[in-house]
Amino acid sequence: MSIPLLICDDSNMARKQVYKALPASWDVDVSFAANGVEGLQAIREGKGEVVFLDLTMPDMDGYEVLRQVREEGLKCVVIVISADIQPEARERVMKAGALDFVKKPINGDKLADVLRTYGLI
Amino acid sequence: MSDTIQLSADQCDCLQEVVNVAMGQAGDSLARLLGVFVTLSVPKIEIVAPADVHRIMEGKYVSVARQAFQDGKGKHGLRGEALVVFGDSSFRELAELLHYDDQDMGCVAEQELLLDISNVLNGACLTRIAEQLGEELFYSPPSILGQGERIAQMLERDNLHWESALSVEINYKLENRSFDCDLLLLMPDSAISHLAGKLDQILEDL
Repeated sequence: MSIPLLICDDSNMARKQVYKALPASWDVDVSFAANGVEGLQAIREGKGEVVFLDLTMPDMDGYEVLRQVREEGLKCVVIVISADIQPEARERVMKAGALDFVKKPINGDKLADVLRTYGLI
Repeated sequence: MSDTIQLSADQCDCLQEVVNVAMGQAGDSLARLLGVFVTLSVPKIEIVAPADVHRIMEGKYVSVARQAFQDGKGKHGLRGEALVVFGDSSFRELAELLHYDDQDMGCVAEQELLLDISNVLNGACLTRIAEQLGEELFYSPPSILGQGERIAQMLERDNLHWESALSVEINYKLENRSFDCDLLLLMPDSAISHLAGKLDQILEDL
C-alpha cells in the first residue's frame, strides 16, 4: 500500500522542489495543497498520512494547520519545511506537534536524512 | 501603465520562493539584532517603472539607505542599486527596540540605525538571493539616500539612472509591534533579463 503524502506550500516551485527531493524508492501517493485551508482539507480526507508543511502561507499558515490537526485529533505525521530559520520557529512548531523541522531550500539528501531518522523509509 | 519588462507567472513564483528563502535568513539576522521573534510573511514582488515609483510606500515620508551591487560580469550581468525603504513609524519602533532614548535619536543616530538595519537586510537577503541564482555579488558600502522625504523626490534629486525596479515588499511583524520596509532593487533592463534567464534555469532543473 502506498503512503498518502501531502505537500503543502503556497509556492508552485517549492512544491516541485519537495516532490523532486522525494526518495525514488519511497512508495507514496502524492497530493498537493497551495495553502493551509486546502492542506487541512486534504488531511481530513486522508490524503496526508505524512505531510510536508510550509509555515508562511496566505489564507491559513502552517502554525494554524498544526493547531487544527491537534485540535481535531487528525492522524498524520507533519514535517515542517520552512525558510524561517529562527531557532524559535523550530521550537514553536515542535511544541505544536511537528515531527521535525527542515530548512529550505530542500534537497534529496536532507529529506532522506530526516525520513531515515524517523524510520519513514 | 508603461512597457516595463515583465516576468512570466512561473518566473514570478520562482523569484518569490527564492526571495522567501532569503527573507528567512534576513529575518533571523534581524531577530538576533533586535532580540525578538520575527513573524515572516509572503513577500510581494512587482516590477515598477520609473514613472510609477511614487506608488511605493504610497507617497509616504520615508528614509532610505542605498547600496550598489554587481556580479563583476559588467554590463550584461546582475547589477543595480539596492534601496532599503523605511516608513517613519517603523523607524521609531526599531529605535525603541534597540533602547535608543529620545535624546539619543539625533539625526546621526538615526542614520546609524538605518545603515545597520540596511546592512543586515541587504547582507542576508541579497547574498542568499544571489547564492540561489548561482551568482556572487559585490557591494559598495551603504549610504543614506534621504530621510523623511518622499521616495520620488530622493530619486529625482540624486538623479539615479535606472530602467526598472524590482520591488520586494517585506513585512516583518515583531512580537507586539510591527514594522514594514520595502527592499527595492533598481536595475537596468539588461540585469532584469539576466535575472529572468537565471530563473528559467532554476525552473528547467525542476
